[in-house]
Amino acid sequence: MRRLFLMVPVCMLVLGLGTALEAGIRTQCKPGAVCQHLVGVDGYVSMADGYRQYVFGFTDKTGVPDNDVLLEAEMDAQSPAPPIRVQEGQEFYLTLSTAPMKMRPDLFDAHSVHWHGFPNIAPIFDGEPMASIGTNPGASFTYYYKVPAPGTYAYHCHVEATEHMQMGMLGHVTVTPLQDGTPITYAGKTYSQFAYNDGDGSTGYDVDYALTVIGFDPNFHDANGNPTPQPLPFADMRDTYMQINGRGYPDTINTEILNPPILPDGSTGKDSQKVNALIQATQGQRILLRIMNLSTVHFSTITIPGITMKVVAKDASLLRAGDGVTNLYYDTNTLTMGGGQSADVILDTTNVPPGTYFLHTTDHGELSNNQQDFGGLMTEIVIIP
Amino acid sequence: MKRPKEIITLMLGVMVVLTLPGTALAAIQGVTGPSFTLTAKTGFITVDDGTIIPTWGFANGTGLMQYPGPTLIVNQGDLVSVALTNQLTVPVSILFPGQQGVVATGGVPGLLTNEAPPAGTVTYTFTAGEPGTFTYYSGSQPELQFEMGLVGVLIVRPTGQPKRAYADPATAFDREYLFFLSDMDPLIHKKVQQGFGATINQSSAWPICWFINGRAGLDTIAPAFDPIMPYQPYSAVALMHPGEKVLLRMVGGGRDAHPFHVHGNHHKVIARDGRQLKAGALDISEGAFTTTVAPGQTHDALFTWTGAGQGWDVYGHTASDPLAPGESADDHGLAFPTILPDIKDLLPGPLYPGSPFLGGSGSLPPGEGGFNPWGAFPFMWHSHNEKELTSADIFPGGMLTWVLIVPPGTLPAE
Repeated sequence: MRRLFLMVPVCMLVLGLGTALEAGIRTQCKPGAVCQHLVGVDGYVSMADGYRQYVFGFTDKTGVPDNDVLLEAEMDAQSPAPPIRVQEGQEFYLTLSTAPMKMRPDLFDAHSVHWHGFPNIAPIFDGEPMASIGTNPGASFTYYYKVPAPGTYAYHCHVEATEHMQMGMLGHVTVTPLQDGTPITYAGKTYSQFAYNDGDGSTGYDVDYALTVIGFDPNFHDANGNPTPQPLPFADMRDTYMQINGRGYPDTINTEILNPPILPDGSTGKDSQKVNALIQATQGQRILLRIMNLSTVHFSTITIPGITMKVVAKDASLLRAGDGVTNLYYDTNTLTMGGGQSADVILDTTNVPPGTYFLHTTDHGELSNNQQDFGGLMTEIVIIP
Repeated sequence: MKRPKEIITLMLGVMVVLTLPGTALAAIQGVTGPSFTLTAKTGFITVDDGTIIPTWGFANGTGLMQYPGPTLIVNQGDLVSVALTNQLTVPVSILFPGQQGVVATGGVPGLLTNEAPPAGTVTYTFTAGEPGTFTYYSGSQPELQFEMGLVGVLIVRPTGQPKRAYADPATAFDREYLFFLSDMDPLIHKKVQQGFGATINQSSAWPICWFINGRAGLDTIAPAFDPIMPYQPYSAVALMHPGEKVLLRMVGGGRDAHPFHVHGNHHKVIARDGRQLKAGALDISEGAFTTTVAPGQTHDALFTWTGAGQGWDVYGHTASDPLAPGESADDHGLAFPTILPDIKDLLPGPLYPGSPFLGGSGSLPPGEGGFNPWGAFPFMWHSHNEKELTSADIFPGGMLTWVLIVPPGTLPAE
């Protein structure tokens, strides 16, 4: 929250919209590389109990002409942030543009992309703004990654991290391994998709799902989105809307884009919650859950009654001994993760009777959408015959 | 609520660190044994937002109370003795979790061990049997005294191997740093100071300040023994050259667990609670980018950084330049992959030297940057419960510090 002490610069910016901002938005990429364009901006989302929540977020404007980006991005914050999926070894040009915040014209916040967990990075592309740079409103910065290692990661804005992350600038990153496409037989079944370069096929899967656990504190969001902005309650921060992929149960299993929120002026907002968390598989398939916790306050423990979780990796590190061949995977009924931790979990449904199962937190107080019960950090796993 | 002045504080701290090579860069500050005299006494710690918290803590001998207590450094096999003198008005004792056969001499019997009564003494002796990172803390009303600050770290070095965490050569390191992670609820401390200790309800404790090595936020990178923080002598900034192996000794010293995230690269957790992660001869160390450090728990981890695999030369070399020590030949001479926007389109951080290259520098707007004269690569290491990056309702603060990857040849060997 970088407040301007004078309104003069704001006026200058508004007057200069026609030239200065357009000149600042520019994507960079090169042939053969993966190109993506994210815009940091504000917006609204709906909690599962219907409550409208002001958020900061990212929206994907890949392919949109540079001159149209700011207009198209206005109030288009997405929750979760658009998922990123790239393959190991690819060159990845990720352009971040920062759009002005329509509901908070007093703010001049920069944004950044921190690829959380990227190994051996240089600060210029790490997105931690004290050590490098943030991207000012109306401008673009292109991050370059030579994607080095498969696994489950995250990305988030690191500018004024406590605020911008609580406000929702949180996304999932999947890096698929070079081993993909090479058939390997493991335990009697042949796979061509893997979580990691395991060499033995033991992380092979049939279907995979990216799940991001986050939490919102409505008091914090309301203070930030108040027409008369209030001091932000950092010390009292306490998440009461625990979510998977930007939704509390039962929105987690709604396969549609959620209805856009009705904005404070009575108009209809943009579609801002496009990702669901419903997990589906045919009996016998192996499901890979790529789980990332980006909560800013709580540890969370999850369980799946009726289906055993096999943890094969944590923090994008395959659970393997130093001899390079001994797998240290373990079966569990609970998995505890703090903010900034990831895990890859395989569900073998061979002996799982068809039906509906629940993935939910065992911190049962988080099974609520604020004051509404039967919600929160839960989704369903549907096993089809 | 943000504090622009905080940045200035940060930068002054960095400047001091960077301009005082030598003592200020010492790796883990502490007291070498095997005989120690500690005094339990009162003091005040300062939080980076200006909050002052009355504390109890251990002093080295007749020195000031310090938070955390003196880091006790001994060698495996040492007969360790810790003589405690109590200058508080309540009984105090010390527990040494992870040590076998601790003998308490003197004092008066307490619930968990012998205690030093007010104005009294007690002495603990034990043989440091196994190498590793351990804690020590008061065993007298620990629910209060731990919070008040009567806690510290014990490091046991393997026999004859001061540059290894354990006897195993796979645990060798070039430099080592301590990350003592803790939290405080200042209201409890104020009640104690004002004589209302009996009214404290531990079940409603609500920490709002977070620390690394007893310092909050950007104070963590001020030099060790900085006179402006007399009760918080330990720095938390880590300095290293590319390619060096750094040992992180992460210690849970508060009431909550903290997910400690290291930027820059993954780390490898090689030990937990002073026990190397091995199953027989099998190395079962774990890669991680965020390690949960629970109260009373210790983790030892190795971290390194080379910059290899970027797809561009992080030194900004041309192909004809010689390789820097530890530089990857694969990226040597490869051009920077993007065009950096005009600096006016960017928000340069105070540690940004105006260049993306290690050891580089560049022009910055007036008043920006300039606090990273080595052109080091700084990476934030912090709690990823981002709420804990605040101090008493103020951002930034709390549980964050930095590693600075400095150009080869900058630092003396440890």
